[in-house]
Amino acid sequence: MTVSAPALEEALAEIVGRAHVVSDPAALSAASIDGRQPRWLVSPGSTDEVSTILSLCSTERLAVAPRGSASAMGLGNPPRRLDLVVDMTRLTAVLDYVPEDMVATVQAGLTLDGLAAVLGKHAQMLALDPYWGASRSIGGVLATNASGPLRFRYGTGRDLLLGVRFAQADGTLTWGGAKVVKSVTGYDVPKLLAGSLGTLGLIAEATLRLHPAPVDTGSWLFAFDSTERAGDFLSSILASTLEPDRLAWLNGGALRGLGQPPARAALCVSISTVPEAVRSQGAALVALGERSGGRAITIPATLWATLGEALGAPLVLRIAGEIRGQARWAGEAESSAFRQGLSVAIVGEAGNGILRVALTGVIAPEAFASELVAPLRAALQGEGGSLVIERAPLPLKGATDVWGPVPEITLGVMRRLKAEFDPLGILNPGRFVGGL
Amino acid sequence: MAISSGVLSELERIVGTRGLVATPEGRMTYECDMHTFYKGAPDAVVLPETTEQVVEVVRLCRREHVALVPRGSGTGLIGGAMAPVGGVMVSLTRMNRILELDFDNRSATVQPGLINLWLSQATREHGYYFAPDPSSQMVSSIGGNASTNAGGPHCLKYGITVNHVLGLELVTGAGEVLRVGGKVQDQPGYDLTGALVGGEGTLGLLTSVTVRLLHVPEGVKTLLASFSTIDDASETVSAIVGAGIIPAALEMIDEVVVRAIEEGIGAGYPKGAGAVLLIELDGPQAEIDEQSARIVEMCRSRAALEIRVAKDEAERALLWKGRKEAAGVFGRLSATWLLQDAVVPRSRLPQIMREVQAIAARHRLVIANVFHAGDGNLHPLILYNDLVPGELERAKAANDELLHACLAMGGSVTGEHGVGLDKASSMPFQFGDADLAFMARFRRVFDPDGIMNPGKLLPSHPACGESFKPAAPRLPAGTWI
Repeated sequence: MTVSAPALEEALAEIVGRAHVVSDPAALSAASIDGRQPRWLVSPGSTDEVSTILSLCSTERLAVAPRGSASAMGLGNPPRRLDLVVDMTRLTAVLDYVPEDMVATVQAGLTLDGLAAVLGKHAQMLALDPYWGASRSIGGVLATNASGPLRFRYGTGRDLLLGVRFAQADGTLTWGGAKVVKSVTGYDVPKLLAGSLGTLGLIAEATLRLHPAPVDTGSWLFAFDSTERAGDFLSSILASTLEPDRLAWLNGGALRGLGQPPARAALCVSISTVPEAVRSQGAALVALGERSGGRAITIPATLWATLGEALGAPLVLRIAGEIRGQARWAGEAESSAFRQGLSVAIVGEAGNGILRVALTGVIAPEAFASELVAPLRAALQGEGGSLVIERAPLPLKGATDVWGPVPEITLGVMRRLKAEFDPLGILNPGRFVGGL
Repeated sequence: MAISSGVLSELERIVGTRGLVATPEGRMTYECDMHTFYKGAPDAVVLPETTEQVVEVVRLCRREHVALVPRGSGTGLIGGAMAPVGGVMVSLTRMNRILELDFDNRSATVQPGLINLWLSQATREHGYYFAPDPSSQMVSSIGGNASTNAGGPHCLKYGITVNHVLGLELVTGAGEVLRVGGKVQDQPGYDLTGALVGGEGTLGLLTSVTVRLLHVPEGVKTLLASFSTIDDASETVSAIVGAGIIPAALEMIDEVVVRAIEEGIGAGYPKGAGAVLLIELDGPQAEIDEQSARIVEMCRSRAALEIRVAKDEAERALLWKGRKEAAGVFGRLSATWLLQDAVVPRSRLPQIMREVQAIAARHRLVIANVFHAGDGNLHPLILYNDLVPGELERAKAANDELLHACLAMGGSVTGEHGVGLDKASSMPFQFGDADLAFMARFRRVFDPDGIMNPGKLLPSHPACGESFKPAAPRLPAGTWI
C-alpha cells in the first residue's frame, strides 16, 4: 500500500520529531549521492528510532542510504533508487566503557576524535586511522572498512569490531558478536557487517576492541631515488624483527602535496613502544633504510594525521595487490596516470598490499574506463588483486563499475545474502559490488 | 537411519575402497570428539584426497538428503565432529599438504588437514610462524582450527584464528566451490572469509586455507609467578592488563592442576602454591626487558611467593609443555569431568574466580582451573565421579551456574572452543530470537537443505528454523554391541 508523500513525511516526523526531518530542497540537494537527491534527510535520535525508520521504509518500499560524517559518500556505484538519507550524527553516545576491559560500546554516529577524547583520559585508543579525517563516524568507518597506516599492526575494523547492534532492512534490531575481547559464540556476524556498506543492515551500535595508547612513538621518513629501492626497503622491513605500528608508501606526488622534500618514493614508518625500544628499533630501522639507499629524516608524529591531504583529489583509486609487488604497482599506477596526462599522488598501506592513488587532471570517461582502469584491473586480477574506485566524478563512475568484477560463484553467494537479508532491496540499492 | 547400500557404493566410487570406513568398529572410532560425553557414530566415513572428491560427496549427500559432518583431527571439545543423526562424516586428514609458502607476502596456503604445529615447523627456519596456538596444536588441524575459530594462549596479543585467516576454499552445503579472500587483502564485497571462519562445519567443508604468517619476534621472555591464593593471582592479572601491558600470553594454573601437571609431566611448577601465572612477553628485546621488570614488580607487590624467569629455550619449552599438555593430565584428577569455556570481561576476573570457588563449595565438587586469564577466558574443569549417584547432576548444575555467572557479568558462552552440540542450547542465553534467526538465515544461504552438521551451533529453536530431520530417531550409541 503506498501512502502519499506528505503522509510519509508526517510519519517520519512522528518517529524522529519534526525538527529532524529535512525536506528543504537546498538541504536535500546537498545530501545527494552521485547526483541522486533523496526525498528526505532524517536524523534519528536513538537506536529504536533507527529501527522504526527502517520498519517504515520496508513497509513503504523506500530506498535508504545511511550516512555518518558524509566523508565517504562517494564510495560505491550510483544508487539505483534513493528516498531517504538516514543521518546518524545525532547518535554519539558512549554507551559503555570500562577502561580495565579495554572495550567500549558506542553509538554509530560518534566520531573517531569524539571517542579518542574519552579514551585518551585512560591512555587508550581505538586503533583505526582512516584517511579523510578523525571527524569520520565510527559506523561509517566500519561500514566502508576504511583503514589507514595503523592497519599494519592492528588490522582493520573487522579485527576491532567485537559486537554490533544493527537494524535489519525490516527494522528488526539484531545483535551479533559479544562485548568481551574473546568470543566464538555463533557466527561472526560483525565480520559480515563490517565493510558491507550498509547493504545488509544499518549499524547502530558498535562494541570495539581498544588498545593501550603507546607510551612513546618515533616516526621516520625514508626518501628514495627509485621506486624499486623503496620496494626493497619495504621487503627488508617485513623480513626483519622490526615491529613498526605504521607503514605508509608515498610517491613523489604525495610528498609534494605534503610539503616534503622531493623524492621518487618514500616510506614513512613509525615505531611505538617503550622509549628504550623506540630508540633501539629506530636505530636499526634507520640503519636498514640507509643500507637500502634511503635518506632518513625524523618526522613529527603529527604528519600521520595529515597524510589524507595528499589524497584530496576528486578521483581516488584503491589498488590491492601482493605485498611484494607494491613498488611495481606504484610504478604502474604512476605511468598509467602520466600516459593520460594526469598528476598522481599515492599513499599506501604498503605492508598490507594496499595503495590509494589520487588523480588530478582532465580525462574522458572512455579513456578512464578503457585505458586507465581496465588494463590495471586486468593486471591486478592476475594475482588476485583488485582496483576499486573510491571516489570519482559521476561521468567517470558511469563509464565503469567502481568495484570491478567479482568471481561468479562468490557474487552468487553475495546475491543470496543480499536477497535473504534485504529482500525488497531498500538498503543502499545498487551501490555495492555487482549492483547489490 | 542407516544410509542405503546405493549411497555406500557411490561413496566408494568417489573416494575408493581405502577412503571409505563403513564397518561398525571402524565407524565407532569416529563416534565422538574430545568431548566424549556426546556420542554418535556416522553411518559411513569418507577420507577424500581432493576438493573434487569433496564436491562429489556433498552433491551426493544433498541429492540423497543425508547429513554431512566434517572432521579434522577430532580434538574439538564441543561435540562438533560427531554424528548425532548419523550420516556421512568427511574426515579431511588426508588433505594435509602445504600448498604454498609465500614469505614475501607473509602467507601460507594449506590443505585443511595440515597439523597446526607443522606449519610453524616448516616456516620457523625462514623466520616465520603461524600465531594461533591452541593447546592441541601438535595434533589439531588448521582446517579444524579455522572451523571452530580456535584460540590458544597467544591469542591475548595476536588474536584468534579468524585474525590470521586471509582466504578460504569452501565446498558449500549446496556443493559449490567457493574461493574467497586470499593473500591479497581487501577483496571487494562482503568479508565472506571472516564470516565463514568459525562456521563449525555447518556452512560447508573447508578444502584449503590461506593464513597469515608472522615474523618471529626479536626476543621472548617467559616468567612463572606463584601466589598463595587464586585471588592474589587474579588481582595481578587485572593489574598487568590495567597497566596497558598486553603480554603474548598470560595463563593461570591453580593448585589442583599444578599438582597433576607435576605428577604427570614434571614441568617444574612450584607445588603447594594456590595459583601459578605463566606470563610470556615477546617483541623487541628492549620492550620485553622493560615490561618484564614492571610485571615482576606487580607480582611482588601482590605477594608473589616466587618469580622465576626461564633461563633458556629449554626451560621455556618445559614451562609451556606443562601448560599445553595440561588437558592430558586431567585424567589424573578424575576419569570424568565437564569443561567450561565461558568468558568474562577481564576486569571481572577476581570476582568470577571467587564465584567459581563458591560454586564448587556449594555443590561439594572440586573445580580445577587452567585458563587464559589475560583475556578473561575461563576453563573451569568440574571434576565428578559418575559412579557416585547424583554427582553428575551436581556437576551439571555447577556448570550451568558458572555459565550464567559469566553471562551475568556481560560475558560470552564460549571463548575459543566453539558451540557444537554442547552449547547449542546455551545460545539463547546470549542471543535473542532475532539474533538467532539472523544466524539461521545466514546458515541457509550456504546450506539450503540443512545437511551440514545438523544439530550443531544453533539450538533446535523455532526461531532458528532447524530444518534437518532424520527419517527416524537413532538408537543411543553403544546399544548395538
